Amino acid sequence: MGQDLVNAISLGSIYLLFALGMSLAWGSIGILNFAHGSIFMFSAYVAYLILGHVRLGIFAVLAIGAAVGAAMSVAIEVLAFEPILRRAKDHRTAEMQILIAGIGIASIPLAIAQKQTKSNPFGLSDSSFQVHTYAFAGIRITNVQIIVVVAAIVLGGGIAWWLHTSRNGLALRSIGVDSEVSSMMGVDRRRLALLTMLIAGALAGLSGILLTYQLGAITPESGDSLILKAFAAIILGGVGSIIGVVVGSYVLAIAETIVLTQTSGLWVDAVSFGLILVVLLFKTEGLFGHKEVRRT
Amino acid sequence: MSAWYDSHLVLIQSTFVGLLLALSIQFPLRMGVFSFAGVGSYGIGAYTAAIVISRYDTPALPAIALGAVVAAVIGWLLSFLLARLGGLYLGMATIAFDLIITVAATNGGDLTGGPTGLFGIIADFSMSELVVFTVVALVLLALTERGRIGRRIGAVRDDPELAASMGIKVRRYRQSAFVVSGILGGCAGAINTILRTTIGPTDIGFSLVVLALTMIIVGGARSWLGALIGAVFFTWLPTVLTVVGDWQHLVYGTIVALAAIWVPGGVLGLATTQYRKLEQRKRIRDLEATARAEPKPATDAEELAVLEELVQSTPGGDAT
Repeated sequence: MGQDLVNAISLGSIYLLFALGMSLAWGSIGILNFAHGSIFMFSAYVAYLILGHVRLGIFAVLAIGAAVGAAMSVAIEVLAFEPILRRAKDHRTAEMQILIAGIGIASIPLAIAQKQTKSNPFGLSDSSFQVHTYAFAGIRITNVQIIVVVAAIVLGGGIAWWLHTSRNGLALRSIGVDSEVSSMMGVDRRRLALLTMLIAGALAGLSGILLTYQLGAITPESGDSLILKAFAAIILGGVGSIIGVVVGSYVLAIAETIVLTQTSGLWVDAVSFGLILVVLLFKTEGLFGHKEVRRT
Repeated sequence: MSAWYDSHLVLIQSTFVGLLLALSIQFPLRMGVFSFAGVGSYGIGAYTAAIVISRYDTPALPAIALGAVVAAVIGWLLSFLLARLGGLYLGMATIAFDLIITVAATNGGDLTGGPTGLFGIIADFSMSELVVFTVVALVLLALTERGRIGRRIGAVRDDPELAASMGIKVRRYRQSAFVVSGILGGCAGAINTILRTTIGPTDIGFSLVVLALTMIIVGGARSWLGALIGAVFFTWLPTVLTVVGDWQHLVYGTIVALAAIWVPGGVLGLATTQYRKLEQRKRIRDLEATARAEPKPATDAEELAVLEELVQSTPGGDAT
């Protein structure tokens, strides 16, 4: 039971790091980036490639992951999402186009990685970082899991604090509430959008590296399933709320662990999909979200 | 010709199935209902037909009909559940529905054949039946694009509040979108099972959503013709791009992304816009020609008379 809890918390921390970026982008600038999962995976893949040439420690690898993720995310924003928003008639059609464009773009890093690895798993074992397992009171926990949980708490708390205390954070939140009025108040949407996507991409890259260390290896397809889980976590917690995405990620992880240990493993995915449907049916705004009134 | 037909039979059949699938998503999209439940209906129809044929030896047409009916009923129930959702939320909820169907199929045990699926599903379904089927569906859908129904559907999509104030039962139209999507998707899935004689969870997963989306976005979301263009394009693209080979998925994704960014109306939208521009230019040219051919203006006396009349007829005009 204790072991399951430890596993659930470290799983939830991975989900949180991944979903945090998505939630930030979606809640503020209204962009649901379906390519987020590919960014996650490709950051780990690039790190794997680099580790084939030079042996690095974990912090260097994390930095690489964050940098690659940030670069990819900003590139997608500039090359794809900004042109769509410029040309779209209204936000609703733009939303759909962004979603579809994200799905399309997601297959590009996926295809590259699949071709190079032939869909075999790849890991980061060439780094100088070794995974240690500590055991006490009958519970085993690895140093990776500790790093993951600490990173999630620090980054999640840090971003929440930044959003609520700094001027840029306030500007970002105001864009989420009403982008037109905020631009009238002098908020530079473009700069903040780029910043948001940069942070989101960096977080995706970090979570990619950490999950690869934790699982030992990932496959090119690992990113796609995470997207829907992140979506479930965000919907459960409420779009635009950082506390929401924190709570949502851990609740999802705990629910999945319970399902995994009590039933056969094949129903695990249904947890996230079912959660999405249930929340959207009964409380569309999630636990901590703001009620959006769309009458038709 | 016959040799080409025989060697490409599978592709031709896939085009029809792909068309029906694309239509199952295009119809609700045309109404402004962002439902991807057509893919789930495809799975429901496919498995219903598979189960009914393999267990009870049902002939092809009743199996397809049953698949369509089951999918339509579930679509109808879904429409109640998802009534309050719109836009992105509805889209993601329906994607979640599609994936739950996949998970249910994987865990269905003996009924659905589990992760490996069902195979050996034999039923007689000829090419001409397929063609007739598809043509009937296309004709019915094309009819909904014209006249009063077409305008009402457009109103429900573009401005539901205004449509409601004009007396259009917006809710009913939206519910019908789910039902029709269920029928079309269910038919597509059932037909595909019969043609391929197998069905498995990997056939109905998220990749199907991506495929349907690509067909619509590249072909054009506004009309059945767009779905047709998209279905033909994407079924035949691999054959045309044999040189691309391994990079097929990358090319697909790039095309989708480029279409979503630069050509959101798809090939059909592009063609329609160009056609309209040409028509406009033609009309302007005609107008200019007529203007140049007009008789010279009247003499001074006639002009004065016309102006006098104008001044008299305008209220307060003869204040001078």
